[in-house]
Amino acid sequence: MTEAAQLASTLGWVALVAYALSSVLYTTSLFRTAASIGRSATAFAILGAVCNFGTLYARSLALHTVPYRDLLGSMKLFGFFLAVLNIVLELRHRDRSLGPFLMPVALVFLLFAVVQTTPVHKDAPELKGPVFALHVTLNMLAYAAFAVACALSLLYVVVGRSLKKRAFTGPASRLPSLSYLERANRTSLFLGILSLSVGVLLGLFWASRMWRGEHPLWALDPKIWFALATLAFYVFVLVRAHRGAAPVSTARLSIAGFVLVLLSYTAVNLLVSKLHDFTS
Amino acid sequence: MNLLFVGWDHHAAPLDLRERLAFTPEKVREALDGLFQEHILSEGAIVSTCNRAEIYGMSDLEDGLDALAGFFSRFHRVDDALLRRTALSGHGDATVRHLFRVAAGLDSMVLGEAQILGQIREAHRLATAAGTVRTVTNRLFMSALECGKRVRAETALGQKPTSVAGLALLLAGRIFESLKDRRVLLIGAGETAELTARLLAADGVSEILVANRSHENGEALAAAIRGRAVRWEDRARAAAAVDLVLSATNATEPVLTAGALRTALHGAPRRGPLLVLDLAVPRDVEPEVGELSDVYRYDLDSLQEMAAVNARARAGEVPHAEAIVEESVRRFQEWWGGLLQGDVVRGLREKLESIRRAELEKHAGKLAALDPSARAAVERLTETLVAHILHDPTVGLKGGDGSERLERAAAVRALFRLDERPK
Repeated sequence: MTEAAQLASTLGWVALVAYALSSVLYTTSLFRTAASIGRSATAFAILGAVCNFGTLYARSLALHTVPYRDLLGSMKLFGFFLAVLNIVLELRHRDRSLGPFLMPVALVFLLFAVVQTTPVHKDAPELKGPVFALHVTLNMLAYAAFAVACALSLLYVVVGRSLKKRAFTGPASRLPSLSYLERANRTSLFLGILSLSVGVLLGLFWASRMWRGEHPLWALDPKIWFALATLAFYVFVLVRAHRGAAPVSTARLSIAGFVLVLLSYTAVNLLVSKLHDFTS
Repeated sequence: MNLLFVGWDHHAAPLDLRERLAFTPEKVREALDGLFQEHILSEGAIVSTCNRAEIYGMSDLEDGLDALAGFFSRFHRVDDALLRRTALSGHGDATVRHLFRVAAGLDSMVLGEAQILGQIREAHRLATAAGTVRTVTNRLFMSALECGKRVRAETALGQKPTSVAGLALLLAGRIFESLKDRRVLLIGAGETAELTARLLAADGVSEILVANRSHENGEALAAAIRGRAVRWEDRARAAAAVDLVLSATNATEPVLTAGALRTALHGAPRRGPLLVLDLAVPRDVEPEVGELSDVYRYDLDSLQEMAAVNARARAGEVPHAEAIVEESVRRFQEWWGGLLQGDVVRGLREKLESIRRAELEKHAGKLAALDPSARAAVERLTETLVAHILHDPTVGLKGGDGSERLERAAAVRALFRLDERPK
């Protein structure tokens, strides 16, 4: 193992521990009001994100290309984006209620990526270049934004139910207002749609150049059609929300949309798509 | 010289008596002038709210409490026996503790209510303007305000509303990020609707619509609160277009039904949740309205349920608040103890003596060259000097009335920095 690969591995483990501590502390902060718990959760989330970035950077040095050309690398990137979006939203709105939902997801993705270390192959010339890098980065950012939208939607449903049931105490009473959750959900959906649109376009452009000769039927790859279907679904949800649909139905559709994202990311990648199976 | 208080509050004095004992700002001035002219108090201030009328001050009289009760009997023309029977009084630490508990909201009818701090601040301002606030009452009231602020900052005593208006705002806060730019529909034009509308207007709502069975009355209220009247028959459509509906009519049948609102919501695209507050008895809004998607309906029963939960939460904060009060009382006692005449004179003597000794030690080398009789003469000279310097302040501290003596003691402590530890 090269020095850079060793560093990537070490930083990955540190990020993993930081994410784990952050997840525990964020969840505890829902039940305990002590400010120090919330502050520690944020500090560990920041430490984890910095180390997560470090592990991606060290991996790119080892690979001499983008660090997320395979599934595990992209999982690390996804975890990183989730942590960063959580920190940005927390600092922007001074609210920690997304942490208990986002950081455990970031932890799980990073856990798989760190534990399932694959050998590093340096000879993959086609998985290089700025177009490929942007394609993967934007798609991962889109998936992270959809994950945030899902978390916000779950919170919307929880807060709405607690208000309907007149539950005036407990953790739900400390969650943000419905209108904030609804607005932030629409913003996350917009960010996700924008990133996924550009990411998919770049992917199509890259594939048309790289796969034209070797895989003439690349355009029939199920992953591409699944990604387009996911994009169409989210566009439908956002347009519907802007046209005045009940926020709770937007929240439910947003949760359902993330199931599509997870399917696209896991089952479709691993089992259906031949061209997007980057596990080795 | 005694620090004392006499008061009539909601615990012992009935409402009709409290109404007769209430002070306007002019009456406060008049009463304080009278208490000074009759030499009952040498300094003082009056706290007057709808739940209490209390006077705090310093008195040289042995029977200061009796004299105060007698004065108020004459001042308000109320039966002396009734006043004495219903009065709450105390002196020394009891006075300090009582005012601090009042400021903390621990003695309020609604535990932890915040208005009392403003009322104590106003009492201090009026007494300062009347010239009746001096060293002790000034310190007493400033410490009480500080204690009240600490209790509100460090405990949740005042953070859980129990009033209808406060609960309405709390619910609105769980549904909306802020009320700014929100639209409100008032159904009914009665006093409750108007009061709550004014509170919401103060929170920055963008528009208030008023739907009233008598359109003229609705227009009158709309004009008074800078809102807009809508037709009674359009109330469901208006409800679907706003963020918050507040209903408080005297109707005996529901005035907002689930069917009408569902139809209106279907035809009026909206982006956010709808909060419906039904403040009427019997209820104005059908309970089924709360089952509509993104509509959150609360009636007085649910608000009372919230109030009970909040009251329990507030009660849980009482020990913490009492601890802050006790700490504040202890600090006041320390300050008060420092003003006792004997302590000040002793402190002053010790300070001058330490200066004398320090100077002698500084010049010990030169003094060693003198013969013993000359050294003893220098020693006596410095002692005499200190005794002469001490004479006038010691006499001065004993002169004047009680409040003047305390003022002088405070001045001496400050000028000679008696509270600082010697270096």
